[in-house]
Amino acid sequence: MTGWGKYVLGALIIAIAAHLIAINMLPRLEMGTAMDRLSGQGARMNMWQMSDRVTEDSRAIVRPSPDFAYAACVYDLSHGPVRIAVAPWSAYWSLSLYADNSDNFFVLDDREAQGGAEITLLRTGAQPPEHAAQAVESPSTRGIALIRRLAPTVQAYNDARAASRGDICALFQEPAGS
Amino acid sequence: MRRAFAWAAAVLVGLALGVGSALGTVEFGRNTFVEHVGPWTYSRAAGSTAAGPYTRAIIAREALLALSSEEATYLSLDRDENGLPLQESCIYELSGGALRARWWSITLYAPDFFLARNGDHAFSVDATRIDADADGRWRVRISPVQGEAVNWLSSRDARRGFSLMLRLYNLPDGYTLRSADLPVLRTLSCPSAQP
Repeated sequence: MTGWGKYVLGALIIAIAAHLIAINMLPRLEMGTAMDRLSGQGARMNMWQMSDRVTEDSRAIVRPSPDFAYAACVYDLSHGPVRIAVAPWSAYWSLSLYADNSDNFFVLDDREAQGGAEITLLRTGAQPPEHAAQAVESPSTRGIALIRRLAPTVQAYNDARAASRGDICALFQEPAGS
Repeated sequence: MRRAFAWAAAVLVGLALGVGSALGTVEFGRNTFVEHVGPWTYSRAAGSTAAGPYTRAIIAREALLALSSEEATYLSLDRDENGLPLQESCIYELSGGALRARWWSITLYAPDFFLARNGDHAFSVDATRIDADADGRWRVRISPVQGEAVNWLSSRDARRGFSLMLRLYNLPDGYTLRSADLPVLRTLSCPSAQP
């Protein structure tokens, strides 16, 4: 190949590679930004953060629903499994887990667990702890756990906020004496 | 030296084209990767571990932390019945009946995908609060001011290009979305309708 042809071909190959890399990186970048915001730049990992009632000032995540009370936990499995528990709620609720590429790899709602739920989150292929609740494998070391509680009014939101005090997101610890 | 400069230029042009086309695809190519039910659009693969890279990228930008379709279906409407972008200066009416979902809501989002900054606190209507008639039929006014509307979504300061999102939670197993089951948008007045 002579003249400008090889440069044009080179630019095209680089363009295709850059296009594919950018498309695949974008969800991870968006999730990284979300995890940084929700965890206070990593200062609050493995703990629930109850969001304020959704208003026009809610700008952390696109398209928030004002009808839900949200609680988010940015989990980090690099130090071992994480215990996640959801306190009961009288209306619709769900617990959803998102990998660092934004995939929603797990959902549990009140139809399946009316009285609340508890899971143990661990890396894919890791051995569940002996006394672990339902084991769920995460495809990534970090990700986001999200609780949605249907709470379309101020009163319902306040009740959901009170209920959320019973939620748990913390490194798993074997029960004392086990 | 000249050859090195030419290769450097080729690399820069390639990177610009590649990244630019990726961002352009995510920004303007969403219609290629969504399904249509009448005027509503949705992605069956939203949130799914089986989503393709383009769907995943578009969802990450427009609806990060969306639930998979096993739990919820998100339908978006950003055009009126004439195919024109929804705009603040127009008055619309959305009407529908009982939806098959266990719970549903309709929320208005400004073009930046956040709630419009208007102080009206009329961002959404949902199955638990909507005022419907005895047959379960309901109408929602979408306008900058409430007027006499019973059910109202405020489009004040939502500018041109806002959208409505219909959330359907826990649809029945095996249910297939049909246009006839979904709310219908009608323009009541639009003084500045421009294509």
